[in-house]
Amino acid sequence: MTASAPAVSLAPVTGEEHWTHKGEVRLALWRKYAGSPAGKPPLLFVHGSSMASRPAFDLELEGRPASSVMNVFARLGYDTWCVDMEGYGRSDKHRPINADIATGADDLEAASAYVLAETGADRLLLYGGSSGALRAALFTERHPERVERLALLALVWTGEGSPTLEQRRKKLPEYLARTRRPIDRAFLRTIFERDHPGTADDRVIEAFADAVLAYDDSVPTGTYVDMCTNLPLVDPARIPVPTLVLRGQWDGIASFEDVVAFFARLPNPDKHLAVVPGVAHASLHERNGAIVHHLLHAFFDRPTPVHRG
Amino acid sequence: MTTHARAFPAPSGTPVTGQEHWTKKGDVRLFLWNKHVGSPDGRLGRILFVHGSSMGSQPTFDLKVPGRDDSSAMDVFARLGYDTWCVDMEGYGRSDKHRPINADIATGADDLEAATDYIFSIRGNAPLLVYGISSGALRAALFAQRHPERVKRLALDAFVWTGEGSPTLEQRRKKLPEYRSKHRRPIDREFVRSIFTRDHPGTADDVVIEAFADAILALDDSVPTGTYVDMCANLPVVDPEKILVPTIIMRGQYDGIAGFDDLVRFFTKLPNPDKQFAVMPGIAHASFHQKNYAIVYHILHGFFSQPDPIYRGH
Repeated sequence: MTASAPAVSLAPVTGEEHWTHKGEVRLALWRKYAGSPAGKPPLLFVHGSSMASRPAFDLELEGRPASSVMNVFARLGYDTWCVDMEGYGRSDKHRPINADIATGADDLEAASAYVLAETGADRLLLYGGSSGALRAALFTERHPERVERLALLALVWTGEGSPTLEQRRKKLPEYLARTRRPIDRAFLRTIFERDHPGTADDRVIEAFADAVLAYDDSVPTGTYVDMCTNLPLVDPARIPVPTLVLRGQWDGIASFEDVVAFFARLPNPDKHLAVVPGVAHASLHERNGAIVHHLLHAFFDRPTPVHRG
Repeated sequence: MTTHARAFPAPSGTPVTGQEHWTKKGDVRLFLWNKHVGSPDGRLGRILFVHGSSMGSQPTFDLKVPGRDDSSAMDVFARLGYDTWCVDMEGYGRSDKHRPINADIATGADDLEAATDYIFSIRGNAPLLVYGISSGALRAALFAQRHPERVKRLALDAFVWTGEGSPTLEQRRKKLPEYRSKHRRPIDREFVRSIFTRDHPGTADDVVIEAFADAILALDDSVPTGTYVDMCANLPVVDPEKILVPTIIMRGQYDGIAGFDDLVRFFTKLPNPDKQFAVMPGIAHASFHQKNYAIVYHILHGFFSQPDPIYRGH
């Protein structure tokens, strides 16, 4: 790892569009790397409930190069990827389904198969945030052989004691009644304000909202329904890969006890729980995003054990 | 292409300067050891390493093993850009052993007060990165509790809080009457080997264990009993709610010194939102000297070099 926070150099980064299929559903992938991707570890980012992948992971903002976590990690030597889940962004939206967590895990099965084939790697590094963490965790339960290391940010396990989900449940009948819910700028602002206003700069919030709304004016309801009524959706005891759990200081998506209980049950002895100070739910776009980058890089770059007992 | 094997990229070969220093705690003379590369500015910060119950500081933090360049954590961290320090607690190594006391955890926290007074006097008052292992973690935690203004970030390796569910302490208590009856307990090569075999044999190389034993026994054939008495009979000796600084708990997979739940409860009560809990695979109790030591260095460097928050909510 680097000697301090990942350096935000301005080395040129190449971006490439890729496409794959999950049955009849077309999925959009986006890849970024510096120089050549050859021999670099593939890192797949998984987005949350209310935005496509590029606004979350490749937000290009003048004068703020760290807004694109893909650029940061591409410059650190990773081959970075993200994918729009079915129903989001440029991926197909034609099926009459609400694209729940399990659907997202299906998407990751298709996306990971494509990434592994394209890169020649046996396994990938996997990051998921919010419901993306649930999708990534469920996918890892199903396919641990494809995941080298797993990072879960803003995760909720059982939902017990979650202020955000308590609020969200008030609109559950509406979410249950349809497969998509509308989103607008005011809604996107609430992601940054509901827990602890001030953790993100207005300029970043606005750019994020612009980017999200350029792709979607509605998003699937499935992950919201799952998080309000169907938790737990993953079993930590069945996630056998090295795992990092990142928890924002003010994140209301889960109680601290819920996250710790999940962490304690993870069976792999290579595991790490970090609380991120000054951060709420959407950490990559918050003022302290550099801490998240540092923690992720430190985890993905951790030396391989020479002794496993 | 297959899995990407990763190693700790510690720069090797750069000459490291080692200097001995001395300070006093009342009439007790304490030995400090400093290592740095080039200027002692400590571009990445200044680390104070705190040793455990059964050895002086240099065998733990500045061990030389033929053919194994990075056995010295002080060399590794000095080459990374830290100014590194360790200190022999009273009763250990080259520090004074003349007082008729058992040098318990609180005595160690006193020693750290004197050691940091000295370091600040010659290097300036910037708060330190403090790492403690085993009872050294208890000493470091108690010191941080007393002097949060002196500690920038706190790493607690092989830590125990209440002692509940600790296989090691359950065994150790069988000899508690003996520890209570004297100020010092004898140590020998067999005892040093038992540190590496009691939890999970095979986690360390024999050549390292033997070099470690040589280094310890060159300085001490007995050590104080106080930390053993404290860990067997007086836990908890620290209160997590009073440890206000950013803290990481580093837990070896096989470490028997504490129950996992004991550490999780401690971690949960830490009030600073900048906190971490790392489990280290394939590692038992004496992490720096185990086969997977590179993971320990990596975790510690990651924690010590973490960027400060730009935003704290106030």
